[in-house]
Formats: sequence, structure tokens, C-alpha cells
Amino acid sequence: MLRSAFPLVSHLPPRKPPPVRPARPPPVRPYASSAARPSPPPASAYVHLPFCRKRCLYCDFPIVALGSSSSSPVNGEGNDPRIADYVRLLLREVAATRPVSNDGVPLETVFFGGGTPSLVPPRLVAAVLDALRGKFGLSASPEVSIEMDPGTFDAAKLRELVGLGVNRVSLGVQAFQEDLLRACGRAHGLREVHEAVGIVTACEGLQNWSMDLISSLPHQTEEMWEESLRCTVDARPTHVSVYDLQIEQGTKFGQLYTPGVHPLPSETDSANFYKIASKRLSEAGYNHYEISSYCKTGYECKHNVTYWQNRSFYAFGLGSASYINGVRFSRPRRMKEYADWVQKLEIGAWSHEPDSAGMKDMAMDVVMLSLRTAWGLDLRSFSKSFGKSLTVSLCNTFRPFVESGLVIVMDMERRALQPSDFKLDLQYEGEIESKVAFIRLSDPDGFLLSNELISLAFGVIAP
Amino acid sequence: MAGAAALRRSARRAIRPDEYTFSRTLQHAERLLSSQASPDRGGVLGSELGLYPPERIRNFSIIAHVDHGKSTLADRLLELTGTIKKGHGQPQYLDKLQVERERGITVKAQTATMFYRHAHDESDAPNYLINLIDTPGHVDFSYEVSRSLAACQGALLVVDAAQGVQAQTIANFYLAFESNLSIIPVINKIDQPTADPDNVKVQLKRLFDIDPSEALLTSAKTGQGLSQVLPAVIERIPSPPGKCDSPVRMLLLDSYYDEYKGVICHVAIVDGALHKGDKIASAATGRTYEVLDVGIMHPELTPTGVLYTGQVGYVISGMRSTKEARIGDTLHQAKSTVEPLPGFKPARHMVFSGLYPADGSDFDTLSHAIEKLTCNDASVSVTKETSTALGMGFRCGFLGLLHMDVFHQRLEQEHGAQVISTIPTVPYIFEYGDGSKVQVENPATLASNPGQRIAACWEPTVIATIIIPSEYVGPVIMLCSERRGEQREYTFIDAQRALLKYQLPLREIIVDFYNELKSITSGYATFDYEDSEYQQSDLVKMDILLNGQPVDAMATIVHNQKAQRVGRELVEKLKKFIERQMFEITIQAAIGSKVIARETLSAMRKNVLAKCYGGDITRKKKLLEKQKEGKKRMKRVGSVDIPQEAFHEILKVSNSK
Repeated sequence: MLRSAFPLVSHLPPRKPPPVRPARPPPVRPYASSAARPSPPPASAYVHLPFCRKRCLYCDFPIVALGSSSSSPVNGEGNDPRIADYVRLLLREVAATRPVSNDGVPLETVFFGGGTPSLVPPRLVAAVLDALRGKFGLSASPEVSIEMDPGTFDAAKLRELVGLGVNRVSLGVQAFQEDLLRACGRAHGLREVHEAVGIVTACEGLQNWSMDLISSLPHQTEEMWEESLRCTVDARPTHVSVYDLQIEQGTKFGQLYTPGVHPLPSETDSANFYKIASKRLSEAGYNHYEISSYCKTGYECKHNVTYWQNRSFYAFGLGSASYINGVRFSRPRRMKEYADWVQKLEIGAWSHEPDSAGMKDMAMDVVMLSLRTAWGLDLRSFSKSFGKSLTVSLCNTFRPFVESGLVIVMDMERRALQPSDFKLDLQYEGEIESKVAFIRLSDPDGFLLSNELISLAFGVIAP
Repeated sequence: MAGAAALRRSARRAIRPDEYTFSRTLQHAERLLSSQASPDRGGVLGSELGLYPPERIRNFSIIAHVDHGKSTLADRLLELTGTIKKGHGQPQYLDKLQVERERGITVKAQTATMFYRHAHDESDAPNYLINLIDTPGHVDFSYEVSRSLAACQGALLVVDAAQGVQAQTIANFYLAFESNLSIIPVINKIDQPTADPDNVKVQLKRLFDIDPSEALLTSAKTGQGLSQVLPAVIERIPSPPGKCDSPVRMLLLDSYYDEYKGVICHVAIVDGALHKGDKIASAATGRTYEVLDVGIMHPELTPTGVLYTGQVGYVISGMRSTKEARIGDTLHQAKSTVEPLPGFKPARHMVFSGLYPADGSDFDTLSHAIEKLTCNDASVSVTKETSTALGMGFRCGFLGLLHMDVFHQRLEQEHGAQVISTIPTVPYIFEYGDGSKVQVENPATLASNPGQRIAACWEPTVIATIIIPSEYVGPVIMLCSERRGEQREYTFIDAQRALLKYQLPLREIIVDFYNELKSITSGYATFDYEDSEYQQSDLVKMDILLNGQPVDAMATIVHNQKAQRVGRELVEKLKKFIERQMFEITIQAAIGSKVIARETLSAMRKNVLAKCYGGDITRKKKLLEKQKEGKKRMKRVGSVDIPQEAFHEILKVSNSK
């Protein structure tokens, strides 16, 4: 287990720029440089574009289902007034938002998430990008991602988006089986999937794209999952996101299914799917750099890395969550309430609550986010920010799992240490950092039990 | 007996704590009002009481199987004499505790004084003082019953006209019979379509040699036959004996604790008279008290300033705790030496269980609740104990199963305590090679691998009386022999029904015997038992181990031949209720170092939230925090988290089949 985890750890964070990129991205620092200190101003922005043709049966996101009235396959929704109205609201929010710093820290990443952002006409996306550029500035080579669903765009639309500066596409394929797509209530079929993959891979000026898959769907078999992974590898995306289906209350799936009970795969099968993905994608040269994320070297999603490193970010739009000056804030999930909130923001009747999260909350965020990654938790920074005794308690709690292989300890050079070394280290509490520098969850077993392990850590931080 | 946990659950559903507090407040208010109104009445009544010499007094109790109509009959008699107003107050007037009302049982003795005009006098004024002494009906309280009966000269033996004689009827009859009481058989509920009073008369004749012509036929519901009851009490029950001119001597029937007044004792004056201001002493403790208040229960506390020979009432004398007021004790005039009344026994504890704080209730809360409750129920023994699995708690000794259940229920209902209780156990006696003996009330305290050879073990037994329709005799005999019972008697009480008596180890009936009996007889069986002697037995201590670590709170003592089966069941049950964790868990039952049953709970495979929604980590964090809280509520042994339900669930195994 230890050994299999080895090659992965060396891939994160990226220390050299991907070859295809013209400019060097800013070095990705471990989270703790920002923790418990005045956080640097945001260099990332999330933009929520909530429109979908219809709601997928598993989805509980704040979305707006446009309905089937606009039947034109690709650009039919473009003229829907609800989209234009919403983008106007969005632009008002951007306009009313005060930049955190005045020294003009430009945005390094912008992420258009949804919903189905590819339903939004490029000219409206352009308007948003312009607004962001005007307000915060964009760096010389920002990462600009957009989520796109098969069947909602053609080559021209994609070219247009790329022309606007979009340079990363996250393609919501989810499965390569017609039956499964239908069972999820997806608005597209397998034919649209293949077309979309064709459009994306043929698009000039777009090298960086992600394939999104969902595992543990109802009626999904191991053969189907293997097939989806094979098709994914064949499409040669630079990035793959593998999401394990969550059954959420209030969704259609929530009414229909119980996790672990047929037609959903059993817990064992579901764990197996996760392991298969980790194995197949690693074999194909992808690094498993976060619980649900894989990439070719240098193609981590920089925007998401912001989240996992606990750095601040702006967010705009319905239901979106921002993290500014140490304060997390989720916007209203209903359109009417969101509109009211934007108005309050405009007249200055709303501001981030001044009291930032306490140390415990901060420590929990750091642990929760960093243990999602292959990079892991930097014990030295953690110790500096939150104290040596907490760090030692945390290590003590994890010790049995180091022995059982769910947790891996590493030295400064990110070489895995033997559990016996870890024991020895703990005995000299004062010197804990002398040898052990990082802890991470092993791939796949530790990742698979991340909720258990992280909640254990929570119990140490906030008993 | 229903499992304590199930009882507690149903009890929680039955009533909300705030409702309860409210009704308690009302009761207090009523008491305060009645005592404020009392100075005038008290004076009158005090002189009135002097008008009732022993020959104008009758003291009786009502004994019956549960649900045969005892409480309703009591209500009717209280109404008939104007003691309570018809239609006012709550039904089952004398059952004051919530647990009594819910379960139709009497736990605490109550008395009620009635003034009654008997026909043989021309005057309209009452000419008899009749005291109803309401006693617990259950065997757990047989000592209390025997003390209450000792204050009576007669008893109404109430039998349901349709159901006929039941197990508890028999036990109660013998208690009354042994106390030399005049017994008036009352065949009640004759209004039911299935009533068969003639058959009941046959049973009474056959079982108790009661002349069928003596039976009164009543319906407490319709009022039919009720007018014969009190005349029969006066004519057939003798007046209390006792010497009016001797120094005062009285029997303490029961006591309860009132927040405002302190300990209130129910007493029956045997000799002499008791006045407010008298100095009295306890024969059991030697302590002396001043009578601060004395009176009758009419039906609530009614001060009279005096009680005369043969009368029954209450005394308040500045006792701090009901521990000072021992049931069966003799209170007497201080500074005079008197012969204590016969029969005083300290409480004997037959069932023990560890009580530990559960969810959200900490040790101090539980400790406080137990202290408060034992103020009112001195018959529970309480010692502190510590368990590695459950932390600090108490080992409590109870008179029996019902007593234990009632105590749990009252802890939760009246004091809001949440408890985990360990498997109930009985007091075993182990003898070592060197001849030394220990009484074991907590299996965990017995060494799993004792340094010394155990020479012999003894366990307490009971004589159980079971009455069943004859078609169920086969299965019941099978059940009793599975429970290591020995048949003592097998007779028919009428054409359809059989009576079985078995000597059974107490251990075999303390968990689910009654449920099992009810289920194999479609609910027709009635069951009662009385304590019997200790018998030698092949007993072993069985440990439950999780990943090799013994869980002290789950240790039990079992019969050697049953160890395998009980061990199997416990281990399977635990496998069901312990959740999978990040490592494999072995669950073992072992005797000494020998493992007799084993299950493996495989490690959890997966608990991961794959997606972090657009940077919105708050939801995910909440989920993980919830998970953390869930872990906190578990009890931990070694590295294994045990959910609280596991402790409740194993209570239900531990013995059967």
C-alpha cells in the first residue's frame, strides 16, 4: 500500500509549468502560508451559471431548469430572457463587490460552474469576463475554466469561447452507457458525448480539458465502469474528475435509492469502482492528486487547488460560496432572494460579517482540505499556525492508521517513512518536526475512508 | 417482564416531561391548599376521630391480579362514601405515580380514610371509620405488601368474572391468608358478555376453599352490587385489636418524600393514641422525633392533630430521608420500651444492574437523579462503580425485576435522566478452594482467570406460579425446562386451565422469560413468583472481548451448559449493532482464556465525499462535524467505538433458550 502511493506524491504541487503553457503559473504554495494569518487577497473567482435544460435526477445544486420548450439542440436557449436577466444581475453583483486589495492583485483563475454554463451564449460569458477584468484585472495567463455538457455546444460556440480567453473545459460526460445516462436523467445521450469529445479535442487553442465521470450510478456494473474509464483514457483529456455518486435528500435519487442497496452498488462494489479508477487512470499516466481528481503532470485544476490550499476566492452568482478575509459566505440559493441580496449589496446594506472564523474552525478547514490532496498536511506549517501540542495530538490519533496503511507519513523530501520511524518521532514530542514533515491519506484506501479519518481529526481539534 | 429499554421507550412516548411537571405542580398546589384549609376542619375532625373506638373501625385492603379492577373498585368506594366527588379528580385515584397509572400497577402503598354510615343505626351520621390500605400487588414488593396487610384485618379478593383466578391472585391470596385476614371474595366485571361468575366460584372453592355463597358479585363500571361491599366489610371483617390505654405503638406502612414537608409516613396505630407534639422513636434505628403534624388521608393529607388506636393516617416528624422511615418499622412513644411489632426485615436485593449516564446526560445529572429518587424509594441499594467502557456509574440493587423497571422508568420520567443499564444480574455466591466465599453482584468484579480454584457456586431460585389454558401446557413445560426449571406442581384449577409451579433459577427469568411465556401462550399465561432458596449450580463467568479487549460492562455469569449458546447470541447481536470501523473487529465470547464464540466485523470499505461543491466546503464540513459528534456519543473500548444501542440490545439476549 505504501509503495503504490509513492509515485503519486511526487506530482503535487506542480513545481514546473506545463510545457504547453506560454507563461509560468504562480507557484502553488502549501495552504498553511495563509492559515491563521491575514490571508492574501483572492486571485480566483467562481462564477455560477445555474441554467440547465432539466434537472438531473441526482442533482441538488442551485440550478434553474429551462424546460424542454427550447428544443433546438445547440443554441436554442441562447435567447431565453431568463439567462440574460440573470447575467445582468450577476454583473450588478460584480460591480457592487469591492476588491479586497487596492494594489490590484489580478485574477489567476476564473471558473464558470453550473448548472450548465455552456447553455449561456458566449457574448454573455464575455460580458462577465469583461466585468471581472475591469474590476479585478486578469493576470497575463489566467486559467479560465468552463463547465460544458454534451449536446449544448458546437465547434463554433466553443471556438468563440476560446476566443474570449476560455482555456480550460470541464466536460460533463458522466458515463459512456446510453442506459446509465438516461437513468440519471441527463439531457444528452451517448451520441452527443462522442460528438462533444470530438469537438473539444479538435478545437484549436484548447489543450487543457477535463472529463467528468460519476461512479456508483444505479445499475452500473464493473464492466460498464471499466468501459467508461477506457473511453476516457482513449479521449486523452489532460484532466479527469471522478465523482462518487452522493444520494442527496430532496432529489429524485434520494426518493428512489438507498446507498449500498440495489440498484446502487454495494459498499464493497462502490469502493471497488473507486479503486479501479485509481488503478486504470494511474496506469494511463494520470496523477491522483486529489480524492476525486486526476491529471497529467502539470495539469492540475489551479482553480480547485485554491480551494484545497485554503486560499481566498471570490464567488458570484446564485448559491455560490466565497471565502474572503477569512469569511466563508454562501449566497442565497433562490433567485428572488439572491436578487434581493444583490440589491442590498449595491446600496451598501450588506457586508461580510467582520468576525472571522476561530482558530479551531481554521484548523479544521486546513485539515479537511489538505487531507483531500496527495500533497497532504504540512505538519510544520500546521504546527506554526495552530501549535505543537495540537499537531502532536493529531499525529497520535493517526498513528494506528499509519500502522494499518491508511495514513502515510513523509519527511521533508516527501519520502515515505516507516511507521516505526513515526513512533520514534512521537516519543520526542519537542522534536516532532525533525523528521516527519507531511502526512497524507494513502491512495486508494486512505482516500476511501477520508470522512472517517478527517472526522477523527475534527474530534482532536474540537473535542 | 418487558425489557427495561422497551419500557422506557414507550414511556417516553406516553408523556412529555413538561406535562408531567405541570401535573406535579398541580398536585403540590392541591396539597398546599388542603393543608391551608385544614386548621378549622382539623380541630373538628380531631375531636371527631375520638368518636371512633376500635370496634367502629375497619381496616382492609384490596388484592387482585393486575387489571382485574382493583383501582376502579377503590374509586367507587371512595365516591360512595363521599370521600371523593363522583366524576371529579382523576380515575385510579390512589395510583399517584405516573408509572402506576400507565402500567396499572401499584408501587407505593396509599391509605384513604372513609366515613361511612352503616344501616343498623337510626342516626344519619356516619358511624364507621373505614380505612382502605392500597398495597402493591407485585411479588417484588411482597415484603411491602405483607407489611400493609399486617395493618389490616381483612381483604377484598377481587377476581375478574371473565378471566378468573390468575397467578397474582393466588400469590396475593396466600399472603392475605398467612396474615390471618378475613377474605371477602369479590367477583368483579360481571357486566362483561363473557363473564362467568359461577366458574370463578368453582375456582375459588377448588383453590382456596372459599364458600361460593360468600362471593359478592359486582361491576365497578355499572355500579351493580357495590352497595353490598362496605356492609360486608363491616360485618365480616373484625375490628382492629389493640390496647387503647397502652403507650402509643404504630406500624410504618410506607413513606414518601415531599419537597415542602419532608418525609411523610403512612402509619397504622396499633396501641394507644398519637398526638401532635408527641415524642416518638424508631425501633429499627433508635432515633427519636417530634410529631410535627398528624392526620388522616381524606383523601389527601388532612391534619387532625391526633390518631387513636386502630386508626390509619400519616405522621410528619422531621425525618430527612425515607431511609430513616423503613417499611415495617415500629414507631413508639419515646423513652418507653415497647415490644417491636413482628416482621421487620431490611430490604433484600435480588436483581442488580449497573446504571450509567447515556447520551447528553452526565454523571452528575444521573447521580442527582438517583439521589432524588432514592429519597422516595429507599429500597434500592446504590453504590458507585466504574466501568472502563461506560465510565462512572452506579451498581443498583433492586427487590426484583418490576422494581428495577419501575426505577428506570421513574428515573427518566420524573428526573429526566438518560441511562444505559448493564445486563441485570442476580447475587451469586462463589466459594473458593480455601473455603472463602464472595457474593457477586457485578460479574465484572469476578476474576476471569481466578488465581484460586472455584470450589462451588450458588444461585438464587424462585418458585414460579404459572396459570395457562391447558392446551399450552406442553410448550410451557418445555420453556421451563429450557430455563433449568424443576416442576413442583401440576394441577388443573378448572376444566380448561392448568396451574404449574416450577422452581427456577432467578437468573433465568430476569430478562425475557415473561415475554417468551406470553408469546408462546398467545398472551394467556399469567405468571408470578416468590423467592426460594439458593441452589448449587455450575456457573461460569463469560467475557465479551472486542479486538481482544474485555468489555467489563458486558461480562455475565452464565450456566456452563448454556454458555456456548448465550455467547453465540451475544456475539451475533453485537456484530449487528456495532458499526463497521476502519479496521477489522473481532468480537469474542470467552470463558477464562477459552474463546467459545467469535465473529468478525470486516473493516469499513468506503466513506468518502468525492465532490467539493464549487468551493462550498461548509456543507461538507458540517457533515464531518456531525460524524464527529456521532463518534463522541459512542462508548469506546480500546479503539473500538460501541454505539449505545448495543448495550440496550444485549440486554435482550443474555439469557434465553
